[in-house]
Amino acid sequence: MLAGFLTLIGCQLLGEFIQRALDLPLPGPVIGMLLLFLGLCIHGNVPKDLETGSQRLIELLPLLLMAPAAGVFFLGAGFADQWPAFIAAVTLGTLSTLVFCGLLIRFLHNRNKRT
Amino acid sequence: MSELIHGPLFAITLTLLAYQGAMFLYTRSARAAMLHPTISGATLIALALMLLQQDYYTYYQNINWLTFLLGPATVALAVPLYRQLHLLRNMAGPLLITVTVGAIFASASALIIAWLFGANHDTLLSLTTKSITTPIAITVTQDLGGITTIAVASVILTGVVGITTISWLFNKLDIQDDRLWGFCLGLAAHAIGTSRAFERSAVAGAFSSLALCLTGAFTAIFVPFAARWFL
Repeated sequence: MLAGFLTLIGCQLLGEFIQRALDLPLPGPVIGMLLLFLGLCIHGNVPKDLETGSQRLIELLPLLLMAPAAGVFFLGAGFADQWPAFIAAVTLGTLSTLVFCGLLIRFLHNRNKRT
Repeated sequence: MSELIHGPLFAITLTLLAYQGAMFLYTRSARAAMLHPTISGATLIALALMLLQQDYYTYYQNINWLTFLLGPATVALAVPLYRQLHLLRNMAGPLLITVTVGAIFASASALIIAWLFGANHDTLLSLTTKSITTPIAITVTQDLGGITTIAVASVILTGVVGITTISWLFNKLDIQDDRLWGFCLGLAAHAIGTSRAFERSAVAGAFSSLALCLTGAFTAIFVPFAARWFL
């Protein structure tokens, strides 16, 4: 599991390094994810250590996200006038995204089947 | 006494305790979306901090090394992406087009609606990542200079809206193919949507997690470049 963790941290470090060296707007961990993905495609399978290491970390995600999420209760008065826009954007945006994607994928899928 | 309450040991104990409590509530409620561990855990932490009259910022600094793990956790998402890649066979065209256009639509629709409702610059920045999985959303928002907390809240609310409306919406649209159903839910509602898709069927779940990974990767690449140009 620790060997897997080393791979993940190593990819992140490499990602952060590439971001700084090339001055990319992408976050380092995202570059690290793409590097690891490319590595897996070349290697052809997922090593057991990496499998368990990444599984453990992904399972821990709710724990890692609780503290940033708790900040919602401490935004204070400065954010009070933003709530209507925030809630409208998230609810209406999500509903329209679902409808849009549903119609688009059905259209593309049907066209794909016919040809 | 008081320096103990203000230190990392106490902050981490509180976080782990809130996690246990949140997991207990979540499994007891048969996995109700509103009680998703991130939501109930965050509420428990906030309640405890308010009761103890603690400063949120100090608490956040104290659990620094826990949030540090979000970096490697983002890298770890490459593994499920690689695992689900075989699903692309036969359907690569429709799926890849939907993910590209859909991910842009998800960000753009939220931004336009928020802008119409008079949101400020910081709120707009924090809404661009609402349809992608939280670890990536946090890393991208931090880099853009948005408010991490708003980004997390928008991601979670997006997930909850997605799973509570998808059945009704897709019945109306008459989309019942598990592959299409799962893919759209994973695209629009990330990990929360994916856990709902697995309740429908294993096929829906697999397509949902493929969509979750592709949307996350694509949005993470696209948003920073777009933000550089437009904002």
